[in-house]
Amino acid sequence: MKALRAVLLLALAAAIAYFLYRQILQPKRVAADTITVYYCKADGETLVPWKVTLGPARDRKSVAFYATAQALAGPVPGVEAIRFPQGTIARSVTIAGDTATVDLSKDVESQPGGSFAESGEFKALVWTLTDLPGISKVRVLIAGAALPTLPGGHLELDEPLARSNW
Amino acid sequence: MLLPALGFGGARPAAAQAAAKSFWFVGTNLIFAKAQNRGGETAVASDDPGLGRFLGKLGASLSYDPGQRYVIVTSGDRRTIVFTLGDARYTVAGVTQSAPFAPYQSGGSAYLSLTALAKALYVLPVEQGGATILQPQIGDLDVRTQNSVTTVTLRSALPVKFQRVSAAGDERLVVSLNAVGTSLEPQREVSGSAALHALSLQPGGSARNPTTTVAFEVSPGTAHALGASRSQNELVLAFSNKVALSGQPVPANGDYGSGGAAVAVRAPGDLSPSAPTNEYAPLPADVPGHEALPPPPLQAAAHVTSVDALPAGDALDVRVAVSGPVAYEWHRLSDNRWYVDLRNAVLDTPARDDQPRSTAVLSLRVKQISADADPVVRIALTLASPRHVDVEPAAGGFTVAVGENDDGEAQRVGAGRIASGAVISNALPIAPVTGSAGGPSDFWSKPTPAPPAPIARLAPGTNPRLIVIDPGHGGSDFGAEHNGLIEKDLTLDISKRLRTLLVARGWQVKMTRDTDVDVFAPNDSAHDELQARCDVANQAGARMFVSVHINSFTSASLNGTTTYYYKGADLALGEAIHRHLAANLKTIDRGVRKENFYVIHHTDMPAVLVETAFLSNPSDAAYLRSPAFLQQVALSIADGIGEYASNSPQVNVSPSDGL
Repeated sequence: MKALRAVLLLALAAAIAYFLYRQILQPKRVAADTITVYYCKADGETLVPWKVTLGPARDRKSVAFYATAQALAGPVPGVEAIRFPQGTIARSVTIAGDTATVDLSKDVESQPGGSFAESGEFKALVWTLTDLPGISKVRVLIAGAALPTLPGGHLELDEPLARSNW
Repeated sequence: MLLPALGFGGARPAAAQAAAKSFWFVGTNLIFAKAQNRGGETAVASDDPGLGRFLGKLGASLSYDPGQRYVIVTSGDRRTIVFTLGDARYTVAGVTQSAPFAPYQSGGSAYLSLTALAKALYVLPVEQGGATILQPQIGDLDVRTQNSVTTVTLRSALPVKFQRVSAAGDERLVVSLNAVGTSLEPQREVSGSAALHALSLQPGGSARNPTTTVAFEVSPGTAHALGASRSQNELVLAFSNKVALSGQPVPANGDYGSGGAAVAVRAPGDLSPSAPTNEYAPLPADVPGHEALPPPPLQAAAHVTSVDALPAGDALDVRVAVSGPVAYEWHRLSDNRWYVDLRNAVLDTPARDDQPRSTAVLSLRVKQISADADPVVRIALTLASPRHVDVEPAAGGFTVAVGENDDGEAQRVGAGRIASGAVISNALPIAPVTGSAGGPSDFWSKPTPAPPAPIARLAPGTNPRLIVIDPGHGGSDFGAEHNGLIEKDLTLDISKRLRTLLVARGWQVKMTRDTDVDVFAPNDSAHDELQARCDVANQAGARMFVSVHINSFTSASLNGTTTYYYKGADLALGEAIHRHLAANLKTIDRGVRKENFYVIHHTDMPAVLVETAFLSNPSDAAYLRSPAFLQQVALSIADGIGEYASNSPQVNVSPSDGL
């Protein structure tokens, strides 16, 4: 009888541990197989969504990083779009609450297209990330530093960007 | 002999660190310092500087962040290559492939198969004499037929360089691509095309200096032409024996890397602008005597013929003799320095820096601080203690009167215009500025010192007749440059025209700059610069703020006029101004748009930013070269301001409101 109780207790403890692992320790997962990535047409206004198939990693951090990298790369070659400067990479993407913080490389400052292009690029990035469940704002860092504006184009960065910015 | 190093099932022993192995890529020895051996395969680290160089030469980039599982590489032609830690499958532009081993994490870096990565970037590792040559390839070949035109697209790792081997006008086309090898099928039959039967790819040259010769077998009567490529790395050839091809003939030599952009099939005439000349009414003459700050730009410079320090007990008078009317602006800094800048003035006496015989003043400096098109003379004092300083008209000039001690809380900025011993226009009431200043060395560097923080503000509309005009960029910040035009010059030109129009209509105008200067400091941060522009309007309690800009974009095809707003209060002003711009200008109407531009966000009053036209567009650039167009822009903005003002009567606000 004592042995049975011990077994039951152990089983209960294991069940609780498993539940805790699923709920707390394991990162939240994104259920869908695709994400929606946006690009901005050369008119600076029209946003075009396209579906991108996710890879095998589905935790939130990986998916947010994936979405960011896809938005930075833009649509397939040949599609006329406002594109991030060549070489712009995501150094990191972190999520806290409803805000994704994207750290971009310095390449993003080499704006040949000026403020007009910057606006289209960031609009696409913000739309892409805020399409992910639970994310409504995007904070942008450049080479790890928070900047009040992008140097090229006067676009403000000192507050997280949201869809309502446009 | 070329030996593709693709066998990864070999029985070579695995070692933690790859043997010292030499990699060559387009004549450069690449060192993968962090490379590891994974079952005989080279695993490269995501943050290896050697990999960075390799990717940089290909125009590719890699994103990885420890703590998540994706490693994403973007090729020069924007194909996305996605690796996942722990999974040997990877995708190239969405197509799944399999790598020799699954990427793994070690010491904060992600390790990838060099072979798989290189292959996705159209680079083939070739073993030769103990070294690995990373050979650029023609990695992809696409043939499609549509509307009787067969198009062949060759995609290369690097910008395309080719020679046409066949004679000009030959039906059979043979081209030789430089510096690229290929491991694609050497022969390919083309079905469904009446013009092109088959093509062959023949690798040649050496492992280090490869070439690939591509021969196209065509039907009799087939013409060929160069097609428009989507990137520098693509060669597009079009064939047809039924319809006429619009592209240019395949040239004897082609080099897509040198021009920086793909060769597009575009007739030279496409870009010729329709020059707008004499389309608008002649320029109205400047209205004299009604200028707010600062003076009209075209007037002859005044000459400062003498500066004398006249001690008067504890006080000091500095008598300044000037040959003609002169506009001035004085500033009082928090460290007991005081100076006045005489605009459009030339110093005829030697510069001076001395100590007058006065207990009130420690030093008096007089200097020409800028010359050329916009000469400025600065007279500066270092006071022994906080003093009241006045600029008073006097016969043949004016007097800087250093008076009694004060509490230092008095007005800190002022301006006006003096002629023949009389003030002909007074300064706007400019809000007090609490001062701070740079060191003595940068004190002389520019006419207006750094606006300090914290900034005292007046409520928006405290000066209900005051409009602040912000000519975009300036000084060290050129803004956009295209087609021989510079944004900072055009914005200043339009702004000066706008100032003249507004002053003639009874407005007071303050410009954030009226010369080619940075508003905050040369080579300052964008934030300081933009905040300084906002401060001008916020401190003065201006009724409206208008920032004038010229747009640009990487593609020359984009053109038109856009008016931007951000705050809710901006919209009515933006719509009024844009209505007149759209009605009067011949540019494309791009509408009124919301955008989080710093200067319109951080100004307290209704504010708009006008993007007049695109410098980068030949047609718009032609408009921007026309003074009549610039005048029309200024007139439209002035008309819009007038319309807005009559529709939105000023509500009096006390300075304590809304701050």
